[in-house]
Amino acid sequence: MSRDCPVSSADAVVLDAVTRSYGDVTAVGPVDLTVPSGEFLVLVGASGCGKSTLLRLIAGFEQPTRGTVRAAGVAPVPGRGAGLVFQQPRLFPWKTVGGNIALALRYAGQPATPARVDELLAQVGLDDVAHRRTWQISGGQQQRVAIARALAVDNPLLLLDEPFAALDALTRERLQADLRRVSAASGRTCVFVTHSVDEAVYLGSRVVVLTPRPGRIALDLPIGLPRTGVSDDELRGSPEFAALRAEVGQAIRERVTS
Amino acid sequence: MFYEKVAADSIAPMSIGAIGIASIATYPCLEFSVTTLLAPVSAPEGTAKPAPALAPGGGLRRRIALRLLALIALGLLWEVAARVLNNPAFIPSPGAVWRQLILTSTTHDGVRGYSGHLLIEHLGVSLRRIVIGSAIGVAGGLLIGVLLGTIGWLRVIAEPVVTFVRALPPLAYFSLFIIWFGIDETPKLWLLSIAALPPVAVATAAAVHGAPSGLVEAARALGAGRWQTVRDVVLPSALPEIFTGVRLAVGVAYSSVVAAETINGVPGIGGMIRDAQRYSQTDVVVLGLFAIGLSGLLIDALLRIAEERLIPWRGIS
Repeated sequence: MSRDCPVSSADAVVLDAVTRSYGDVTAVGPVDLTVPSGEFLVLVGASGCGKSTLLRLIAGFEQPTRGTVRAAGVAPVPGRGAGLVFQQPRLFPWKTVGGNIALALRYAGQPATPARVDELLAQVGLDDVAHRRTWQISGGQQQRVAIARALAVDNPLLLLDEPFAALDALTRERLQADLRRVSAASGRTCVFVTHSVDEAVYLGSRVVVLTPRPGRIALDLPIGLPRTGVSDDELRGSPEFAALRAEVGQAIRERVTS
Repeated sequence: MFYEKVAADSIAPMSIGAIGIASIATYPCLEFSVTTLLAPVSAPEGTAKPAPALAPGGGLRRRIALRLLALIALGLLWEVAARVLNNPAFIPSPGAVWRQLILTSTTHDGVRGYSGHLLIEHLGVSLRRIVIGSAIGVAGGLLIGVLLGTIGWLRVIAEPVVTFVRALPPLAYFSLFIIWFGIDETPKLWLLSIAALPPVAVATAAAVHGAPSGLVEAARALGAGRWQTVRDVVLPSALPEIFTGVRLAVGVAYSSVVAAETINGVPGIGGMIRDAQRYSQTDVVVLGLFAIGLSGLLIDALLRIAEERLIPWRGIS
């Protein structure tokens, strides 16, 4: 990232006794969670544990039934202060690839020049696709565009909801590596939701395991793996990586079977 | 009768298709939709662009051959029916209708076309009414549709009204417009506008209301305001359904124009048909039906071409 985003010393996200219910069913909570600025937090858990709901609460798309959610010190509003990447790319098919990026820049009041669009696409490893139609590129490329679109605005917070779940294994690994690199370089706070233990340990600087419905924090684990200066093979092959993966995996399995 | 005295060699034959094209070329807005939208949609190899609906080569040729065959069979059937019945006032022969096409397209013995106007002028005036009426109706329908689709309480109030107007036969409220606006151009344009409005309004309202929530959410996550979301996401996503509504609206305007021209409708195809009916000139009536039907086919084809150019993402989720 050539542009630095504002990194405040305050906590990026604070959840205080947050509960979200749908009728009589409690999906999440109560959850207390503080995400310091610059952290890469991964929320991991089995399907239906409310991890996506938690992310939507942080994004401001949903309101807590009880408790308070604060992002950068205020109640979150969609489109302010947080970029969002969904499981599906959700690109606008009536715009070209470049048009999708330009739209994000315009909403943020930034000049949407072709050079800036290309720069953002290059940042996620895409060249010469700005003029293409969104359905003319592969699923992995579409998700890269979605990430570039979320990065277009210099938000201090990036929220990702299982963004790689629909991709094939090879593409997923490449995108994981790129996201790890981009996030380390940008210094943004990231909250990443996944059901993959491997992905959680690889990406996170901290992993939070959620219990099945209602989602509560079962394990809160700092990941001490180096963020830079080490190759992927070295990292994934290290005993530390294996130990962390085993610990997180066990925490999930315990909660599912109990 | 006057049209029998004309020497056939003084007349340049003209096909109905040529008439239709010539008259449409005088409407710049229609011309625009064809010529400016011809930029090719490139689909590089190995991508997910769906195959065109028509298979190229053999399939297309077979379809054309089939249609030609059906047309020839229908024409033969018509000729046979006309000869068996031998009553031109009931079923005129294809040849008689063709002669009328030539007669109404020329000036002969000091008589200009039919009822003082050439066929192409009748058709041109009718098409002008259809284009203006449809344009006003489509614009109004779009506005009402967007409002109904985005504002909940308005939909509750106004949806029955739109459905009510939609259920009315245009001729029913034409009398009201005659009382209000006289018998000149105004009531005809009002009739076509009001007739063309509901299909667009209903299609737009449904499509806007059912805009894909995932894309709306994506726009809001990017910081789009309410109006920006409508302009950049809701309306484009509704465009395929809106276009279907527009084609329906133009169809309704077409079917209403003859009714609108039953009162003081000359020049106009409806007026021509009305006059011909008074004098039992069945061949002229049939000619009028052909003129309005074939030009309708042509305009629908143009709308379809415009649709393919404007909405290349149609059918892609």
